[in-house]
Amino acid sequence: MAAEMALLKPISFKPETSPLKTSAKFSRTTYRFSPKMAATQAKETTKKSGKAAIKETLLAPRFYTTDFDEMETLFNTEINKNLNQSEFEALLQEFKTDYNQTHFVRNKEFKEAADKIQGPLRQIFVEFLERSCTAEFSGFLLYKELGRRLKKTNPVVAEIFSLMSRDEARHAGFLNKGLSDFNLALDLGFLTKARKYTFFKPKFIFYATYLSEKIGYWRYITIYRHLKENPEYQVYPIFKYFENWCQDENRHGDFFSALMKAQPQFLNDWKAKLWSRFFCLSVYVTMYLNDCQRTAFYEGIGLNTKEFDMHVIIETNRTTARIFPAVLDVENPEFKRKLDRMVEINQKLLAVGESDAPALVKNIQRVPLIAALASELLAAYLMPPIESGSVDFAEFEPQLVY
Amino acid sequence: MAPPSTLLLRSCSCLALSHPPGRRRASPLAPPPNPSTIVASFSCYNKTHQKLFSKSGGSALASISGSANRSRALAVDSDQRGSAVAVETEKKAVKYHFVVANAKFMLDEEEHFKELLCERLRLYGERQKEQDFWLVIEPNFLQNFPKLTARLKRPAVALVSTNATWITFMKLRLDRVLSEQFEAESLEEALASNPVDLKFEKPENWVAPYSKYEYGWWEPFLPPQASKKDA
Repeated sequence: MAAEMALLKPISFKPETSPLKTSAKFSRTTYRFSPKMAATQAKETTKKSGKAAIKETLLAPRFYTTDFDEMETLFNTEINKNLNQSEFEALLQEFKTDYNQTHFVRNKEFKEAADKIQGPLRQIFVEFLERSCTAEFSGFLLYKELGRRLKKTNPVVAEIFSLMSRDEARHAGFLNKGLSDFNLALDLGFLTKARKYTFFKPKFIFYATYLSEKIGYWRYITIYRHLKENPEYQVYPIFKYFENWCQDENRHGDFFSALMKAQPQFLNDWKAKLWSRFFCLSVYVTMYLNDCQRTAFYEGIGLNTKEFDMHVIIETNRTTARIFPAVLDVENPEFKRKLDRMVEINQKLLAVGESDAPALVKNIQRVPLIAALASELLAAYLMPPIESGSVDFAEFEPQLVY
Repeated sequence: MAPPSTLLLRSCSCLALSHPPGRRRASPLAPPPNPSTIVASFSCYNKTHQKLFSKSGGSALASISGSANRSRALAVDSDQRGSAVAVETEKKAVKYHFVVANAKFMLDEEEHFKELLCERLRLYGERQKEQDFWLVIEPNFLQNFPKLTARLKRPAVALVSTNATWITFMKLRLDRVLSEQFEAESLEEALASNPVDLKFEKPENWVAPYSKYEYGWWEPFLPPQASKKDA
C-alpha cells in the first residue's frame, strides 16, 4: 500500500490475532528488518528515527487489522460454491509472473544523492521515506496475515495475498534502505509491536485498501512521469524506480476489485453506494490535508502540491468508477473549493495544537474548528454523486457503447 | 529470491498450454537466460526487441509470417503432460482470446494500458519468451462477432493473445471492454486487419504535470506484418 487512509477514527485497537506472528515470520524471509536494520543504524541515528517517537496523529499512516474469521467465511469455496475463481486465477498468474523480481536493485547514486540533500529538504525527505515505508509495511503485515489465514479455505486467494505481501516487503525494504542513505533506519519489528492497529470489517478493508493501492499507483506514476520530463528535479534516484514499482500497486488494486466482484453484496445496494462515497472522501481528504502540510516536499521535486493532488484525485476517482457503485463528483470545481477550505481549517487546528495555551483552552478553541471541518466534510459527502461500477454489474451497461 | 532457472520454468509452464501456430517453442524448458543477453531497460519506443527475439533463438517475429518451418518437434514438460515428446502438426487451430474497445479508449485514454504492455514486453525480453500478445487495429475477426460490433465504436482496437488467463486479467483491469475468443489456423489469419489511420483529438483540459504518451506507442505491439508496412 503506497498511500494511507486515516481520517476515520479507529474503531478498535486490539487486533484479533496478534500481528506479531507475522513479524516473526517476516524476519525469516529475505527481508530481515528488525535485527539487521537495527544493526545498520549508523552513528548519526537519533532517537527520532521511529524507535522512540511514534506520533499517532489523525493523519498518520495506519496499520490495519480485520475480522479474519469473516474473511475466511467470505472466501470459503465450500460455502460459496459460486465464487468466480477465474479472475483470481488470472491474478495469481500475474503475481506469480513477478514482473519486478529484479527491479529493486540499488546503486551508489543513492548515497551520493542523499548526501547532497541538505537543509530543510533533508528532513522532509526523511519524513517522506518514513511515511512511505510505514504504509508499505502496513500492507505487508495485513496481507501476510490474510495469506496465512485463508490458506485452507481458499488457497488461490491466500497465495495472492502472500505474493502481495512479498511486493510490499520489497517496497518497504527498498524505502528503508533509502533511509539508510540518510543514516537512519526504521525499526519495523518495533513498529509492528508498538503501533496501534485500526480495525476494519472486511468490506471496509476492501474499499480502503482498493483506494489505497490505486491512489498509490497514481501518485507514483505522476511523480515518475513528471520527473522524467523534468530531470533537474530528480534529486534522489528512488523516483526512477516508481514506474515499475507502481505497476505492483495497480495490480494489488485489481485484486481488491476482484475480491469485491466476488462479493457483489458489497457493490450492489444503496449502502454500498454510501460507503463507496464515504471511503472516497476519506481517502482524498486525508491525502489532500496531508500533502498540504508538506508542500515543501512536492515543491522540492518541482510539483505544485495542490495541482498534483487534484490530478491524482481525479484519476483515482476515474479508476475507482470502474468498480465502486458510486463515486464523488471530484471534477466539479466546488469539490476542490471545499478541499481548500478544509486545508485552511486544518491549518488553524494545527496552530491551536502548537500553541502554548493550556489543554482545556486548546480543546475549547478546537470545538468550532472541528465543527467547521465536519460541516465541510458532510457537504462534500452530500454533493450529487456519480453512478458508476464495473460493467459486469452496472445497471447502465446495456446502454454502454464500447 | 528464487534462482532464475526455477522462475523461467514457472513462467513457461503457465503458458505452455497455448502457443501461436506459426511458431512452436522448441521446449517449454528453454535454456536459462544468459545474463549477458538480458536487456535491463526495455523501451517500448525502440524496435530492437525484434532483433533480440531472433537473436535469442526464438526468432519469433522474424519468421512468424513465413510458413517454411511450421512444424517442429515439441518437447513437452514431462510433469505437465506426462509424455516426453509430441509432434505438433501445422494445421491445428489455435484459440485466441481478445478484449476489444474503441481505439480512443485503448490507445489514447487508458495510459496504464500502455504501461502494462510495455512491462510485459520488457519481461518477455528479459526472460527470452516469445511474444504472444498483439494489438490489432480494426481486426478482421470482428466480422464474426455481430453482437460485439453492434456495441462498438469504430475504429476498434483489440488486444489479442493466446494466453486466456492473461486476457481475463486484462478484462478485469480495463473493465470497459468486450471479451471473446476465436480459433484460427495461422497467426496471419488470426491477426489480419484493415488498419486505418488513427487520429486522436488533444484532450481539452490536460492538467497532468506531464505530457501524454507519444502517439504511436502501440507500434511495437502491432502484428509483425503491419509494423513492417508502417516502416
